Amino acid sequence: MGWSSQQSARLHLEMGILSRYFPTFFLKDSIIPGHAVIEGTLRSNAGNEYLIRLRVPADLPNSVPIVEIVSPVLRDRFGHSLVDLGTSYPMHLLKPENGAVRICHYSASHWHPNITFFKVLLKIRAWIEAYEGHLDSGYAIDHYLPHMEA
Amino acid sequence: MTPLVYVLEEQIRDLLSQTGDVRLVDGVAYGFDDWTVFHAYTEKPYSTPSGRICPCVAMRSDAAGFVDEEKLMLQVRSRVDPDGDPIVVLLAGTDAGGSPSCRALVLTEKGVAGADARFVPRRSELFSRNTGLLETSALADKKVVIVGLGSGGSPIALELARAGIGHFTLIDFDRLELGNISRHVCGVNDLGRYKTLAVRDQVLQKNPYAKVSTMEINVNQSLGQVEDAVAACDLLIVASDNDQSRFNLNQMSLNNNKVTLYGRAITRAAGGDVLRVRPWKGPCYNCVFSSGLIDGREEEMSQKRQALAVLPAYVEEDKINTMIQVGLSSDIAPIANMMVKMALVELSRGIETGMSTVDEDLASDFYVWANRREEAYANWPRMGFKWTHPSILRWYGARIDRDLDCLVCGGHLEEEPTT
Repeated sequence: MGWSSQQSARLHLEMGILSRYFPTFFLKDSIIPGHAVIEGTLRSNAGNEYLIRLRVPADLPNSVPIVEIVSPVLRDRFGHSLVDLGTSYPMHLLKPENGAVRICHYSASHWHPNITFFKVLLKIRAWIEAYEGHLDSGYAIDHYLPHMEA
Repeated sequence: MTPLVYVLEEQIRDLLSQTGDVRLVDGVAYGFDDWTVFHAYTEKPYSTPSGRICPCVAMRSDAAGFVDEEKLMLQVRSRVDPDGDPIVVLLAGTDAGGSPSCRALVLTEKGVAGADARFVPRRSELFSRNTGLLETSALADKKVVIVGLGSGGSPIALELARAGIGHFTLIDFDRLELGNISRHVCGVNDLGRYKTLAVRDQVLQKNPYAKVSTMEINVNQSLGQVEDAVAACDLLIVASDNDQSRFNLNQMSLNNNKVTLYGRAITRAAGGDVLRVRPWKGPCYNCVFSSGLIDGREEEMSQKRQALAVLPAYVEEDKINTMIQVGLSSDIAPIANMMVKMALVELSRGIETGMSTVDEDLASDFYVWANRREEAYANWPRMGFKWTHPSILRWYGARIDRDLDCLVCGGHLEEEPTT
């Protein structure tokens, strides 16, 4: 089963917003719901680039999209791979899969269909700054980014 | 006491309509109260019955209902292995007017005893006392989909069965656990069963002629199947316990132009709310949810599975356990009851019934209820004797308009579906 007409309209809307604010992001494998991803690069204030993959949920826009950092391989200040940290409250990380770090951005209890991928990527952008802050200071990421209330 | 034997009139009609040499039909009976009351079936029961099982044999009686008891007893004993339990014998025939009749005998080691056979009547008579308030013949054709058969959805299903709704699709993938029992219409006899199947049996106890289909699936993982059911219904009732399913069902309700009722309890069932979505005419679920109107009115977490589904994986077990705080069944009941009233209003629309004045009163699409002055209602004044301020144990309708900026039903859509 393909996307419904409403989902196709929503994808069009999402890509329209992203093309304006995050123009490097493009849609891949968009035909089959559950397989579509949006990939692009985010650049930190320090000029470092991160390849981001956002997995478009099959029930778009009704559930939280998974967001992974595909490259570079992320390590904490002490040299440990963030993938090896697994699920981490202080680092805002979800359980990684396929070797990619998954960022905890919105929890299911805070999600609603009015949240666009643009807002999600803004949070990822903030996470990247907090991550680089962690590399400089050693403070965990939640020192910079407070958690949403559960 | 003369034993009482209840039998479905429809089954006797079926037996009488069978052609060919049908002499003895093996059925089943369930006995109660020291074998003084029996529920007898000539065919497989329509639901999982209760009582103590015993053999039942049905036969078409000869003219005038004459039965050679000695011969019958020999014939019946040769058919079953009674283990000392009674055997119920049904003798089906027709009365002078041509209507089906039934005699019953109960065979025990002591001999044959005549029983008082009573019909569970046909559909038209089952709801005869409702006449005047609801046109049950009209509601018998109505199709309702209920998603979530927990403490909210299960009593709704039962009440709608009592009101004569004829078609149900029950959707839930959960099974009945010990912790559910105190707030659920089903009891310990149903432990471990799918809630859908256990509730189906309860519905059939109220309306044996209801058509009940069940789907033991996760709405969020079986969107196509659920949407097919939604497309075929007259009313969608959502009593599920997570927003993802409500968002998905909201989309289906809009796609198929189906009026939908959503209900939920907040933490410890301190209160709750009910939303009616009239697609494209009023607010959709997302219009309300994303408006901030229900911020601070966190949904009740009644079981760990529910909490795990919405919380990030790193939330500690202790925290999850503290979030599981349930209210009493009596706190859920008003919310379920309001949903039933609103369901009956929607299903009776266009029919001359006593529900039309209720329809006039229920002008709002969103209703709030408080059970206790705590959580979101902590600052409400005491009930006292005033009617001019918010109080517990009263319904309040809130006017909410459709949000034209809603990304689900709002203005970004070029046109509304034509379904």
